[in-house]
Amino acid sequence: MDKRIVLKFAGLGLLAAGLCAAVAIAAPQPAPAGLRLLTESEYRNSIADIFGPGIAIQGRFEPGRRVGGLLAASTTVLSVTPAGFGAFSKMADNIAVQVVDTKNRAKLVPCTPKSAKAPDSACAGQFLSQYGRLLFRRPLTTDELKSRVDLAGNLAKSSNDFYYGLRYSLGTLLSAPVFLFRTELAVPAEGKDYTLDSYSRASRLSFLMWDTTPDSELLRAAEDGELMTTAGVSKQVDRLMASPRLEVGMRAFFADMLQLDTFSDITKDVLIYQKFTPQMANSAQEETLRTVIDVTLRSNQDVRDLMTTRKTYLDRTLASIYNVPFNAEGDWMSYEFPASSGRNGVLTQTSMLAMFSHPGRSSPTKRGVALMDIFLCEPTPLPPANVDFSIVNDVSNPKMKTVRERLMAHATNATCASCHNHSDPIGLSLEHFDSLGSTRLMENGQTIDVSAKIGNKSFSGAEGLASYLHDNPKVPACMARKLYSYGVGTSSEDVNPASFKAAYKSFVDGGYRLRTLLKGLATSSEFFSAPAPVATPTKTASR
Amino acid sequence: MKLDRRFLLRGMFQGSAISVALPFLDCFLDSNGAALAATGKRIPTRFGTYFWGCGLTKELYLPKKTGLDYDATPQLAALEPYKKKINLISGMRAIVDDSPNYQHWTGSAAISTGICPVKDRQFDAQTIDQTIAAAIGQGARFKSIEVACSGNKGDSVSSLGGPNTNPPEVSPLGLYTRLFGPGFQDPSKGDWKPDPQVLVQQSALSVVADDRKRMLQYVGANDRARIDQYFTSVRELEQTMAAQLQRPEVVAEVAIPSAPGEMEVNKSVPVLRGVVPVMAQLVALGLATDQTRVVNVSLAEGASTIFMPGDPKPFHQATHEEPIDAALGYQAVTSHFSTYSMEFFAMLVKALDDVKEGDGTLLDHSLLLAYTDTGFAKLHTLDNIPMFLAGSASGRIKTGYHIAGGDSPVSRVGLTIQQAMGIPIDNWGTGSMQTKKPVSEILA
Repeated sequence: MDKRIVLKFAGLGLLAAGLCAAVAIAAPQPAPAGLRLLTESEYRNSIADIFGPGIAIQGRFEPGRRVGGLLAASTTVLSVTPAGFGAFSKMADNIAVQVVDTKNRAKLVPCTPKSAKAPDSACAGQFLSQYGRLLFRRPLTTDELKSRVDLAGNLAKSSNDFYYGLRYSLGTLLSAPVFLFRTELAVPAEGKDYTLDSYSRASRLSFLMWDTTPDSELLRAAEDGELMTTAGVSKQVDRLMASPRLEVGMRAFFADMLQLDTFSDITKDVLIYQKFTPQMANSAQEETLRTVIDVTLRSNQDVRDLMTTRKTYLDRTLASIYNVPFNAEGDWMSYEFPASSGRNGVLTQTSMLAMFSHPGRSSPTKRGVALMDIFLCEPTPLPPANVDFSIVNDVSNPKMKTVRERLMAHATNATCASCHNHSDPIGLSLEHFDSLGSTRLMENGQTIDVSAKIGNKSFSGAEGLASYLHDNPKVPACMARKLYSYGVGTSSEDVNPASFKAAYKSFVDGGYRLRTLLKGLATSSEFFSAPAPVATPTKTASR
Repeated sequence: MKLDRRFLLRGMFQGSAISVALPFLDCFLDSNGAALAATGKRIPTRFGTYFWGCGLTKELYLPKKTGLDYDATPQLAALEPYKKKINLISGMRAIVDDSPNYQHWTGSAAISTGICPVKDRQFDAQTIDQTIAAAIGQGARFKSIEVACSGNKGDSVSSLGGPNTNPPEVSPLGLYTRLFGPGFQDPSKGDWKPDPQVLVQQSALSVVADDRKRMLQYVGANDRARIDQYFTSVRELEQTMAAQLQRPEVVAEVAIPSAPGEMEVNKSVPVLRGVVPVMAQLVALGLATDQTRVVNVSLAEGASTIFMPGDPKPFHQATHEEPIDAALGYQAVTSHFSTYSMEFFAMLVKALDDVKEGDGTLLDHSLLLAYTDTGFAKLHTLDNIPMFLAGSASGRIKTGYHIAGGDSPVSRVGLTIQQAMGIPIDNWGTGSMQTKKPVSEILA
């Protein structure tokens, strides 16, 4: 099949025969360009958008893994394990049961079968093509639809229940690789270049902006070829960016970039930190995401303000950690820390401070390594395998009461120094915050020194660190690199900066506004560029 | 008919197995002759792994004597009641050749794949449990079950290769639900019959499986392996469903308990002391009722962050930061965590040995590999990595030995295991890890 065959329905009313309304559209030969596994939030958001938020999604998702600082980049290397598929398959059936049950069918099934006790291929075809298009992010092929309509018919017949057939055939769409993976295809562009085809573009835009499957309007724009034009892309990008759902999309990006999922694997020693509860972990993530969205979208501030802002949002749990009175009516209150608090930017929020600590104490090295990676795109190499760290922890040594003194021992060892000189200053300047993010000024009876030096810049404490990072051009450059990598699904370490050069320039020129960066990235031709396909024995791809 | 197992293996190696493969394999499965005679049911041999990070304390665990009746050591005290059913293997090493020593990764991956990995946190081949599951798992509901006692869903030591790991169950309730929740039919019930729903699920699944050819057109050469893995997973669910249509033959004397409640699960040692025995009992029940024949239990990650409340240093930090006590000659705090890791292993051994099955126990019909990632965590060494083999694999493994590995490659243990589990191979591993020498002292 060397032409793309799509089923295009002029309207649902034309679906009388269910399968006969196929119209062939000639298109350039698409080539495989990428395969991305849906993330948990992409899956959840897709289901909620397609079937409504009332559909419960119960089940377990396989863990992602961080590549170049982003989980999103692992979606292009991970697959589905047997246990993972087992879970997807159960989730699919569970969702399908809810969609066709008596409570929801009037709302969600777009037609009434001739008899609820018999097959009706026209109604089944209408239902499956409508949801298939949304789930597959493109229209179903003739084969894909026919196999499902046949299944629905056979099961309806054997069970004397039209909806029983519908349930299982919908389940096959939800377990299908085309739903669970985003298949990106490319078509020849100018010269030797390839560029994503219009449905792949629709998905890339939608998952970046809204963290969900393309909506009907975006799919329409793809079907009509609008997304293959600069003006068409621009129009859709503006529409996506004007929606409040942009916050959902950017929350997902920042949750990934700030590595907030680390919380799922941290425990605090409650003997040392009595205030720690699992609820605190949720609150801390929410605080940071609220702050980030407020700065970057709601008030459209310079993104570098994330490093310095003292404005935040607190609930009761967090107020207790920060020792701030909670006096709001609702669950959350906005709050501005006084300058004297030492709180500056997201770096000094409980989320970042607690995630990158040990269960029972702070870790300047963990904090330093994480912050270098997250905000400066400078990952720290692994320490050499055969290092003796004993001295770092010998608290009985009278000269080494604080972590700083113990860590400084590394500086005398050349092998250690090369990396520790890199990561520790950032962490040491945050030592006024314990493993939970509460303030402290002493450790083991000694005042904590929070001075630090990076390169030839000396600073002190969180405030000094905040202004160092605020003025460091690597911070916005790193954010642009991560956002581009997140959008295209590549390791941020492998990205060619030329791919987002123009977008970055407008970002800088426009005063570091996230919206400028997003718009610049999403409307650039590089955002959709694809490698020319390698000649393989496999046949040309087609849809 | 009583056949010498080694004779069988030899037969397979020499390529003469084909003509006699089926009856021979039957003999394998029925090698516990007494049980078969008594019940008329065959008892499958199971395989499992227990992984803990950061190793043991050589000064506290390593016996002076080798062979049978070796001297008791303090770090292995919890295992003492099962000493006659366990082999301790010391002194083997992972040989990296040109690959780096990825900390808390290379050693364990070398043991489970026979290959020192080229990349960090990516398996160069499927792990040994998956090789064995492919060989012995036919007929069981799940090819394998993974359990992370720490509650971290990233802790899994089982993989079909590459960056994906088989996701673990992370709570007792989750494990219970997987094994005995929807889809489970108690084989001990008199009115057992195949669930007709399974037939429907099979027909639906075949529609998904039929997407394969079309899907391959959409993926480039780079992604081919990922789509192959997806469809392998689909096929395995099909096999699971086929297994659900057969009534499992259960010899073990077990009853399915009601579901455990929600429990706190994390890396605190006291919490683990509550969670691990429950997980271990569920694992044993899953094996005993033939829901699976392969289990992988991990205590925590390689750079283990299990901790004792009140002590700010978790296990991994302690290994690196605690000085060696001059008087004791080892790291005192660190050694406690190693001892706890053995106590948790003993809980798993106990759970299997507590299940009576035929003329012995579930443990007797199992082979359980316990392993770690390093010989001396403080320096991430890859020599002297301790390993254990618990259970006699239905009589194919002799137990009660301390084997000193003499710096031979850890892959010898993997080779031994595969031969004991009936996989016809005569060598395993790559590079300097390639070996043709199983631990012949314990092969029965």
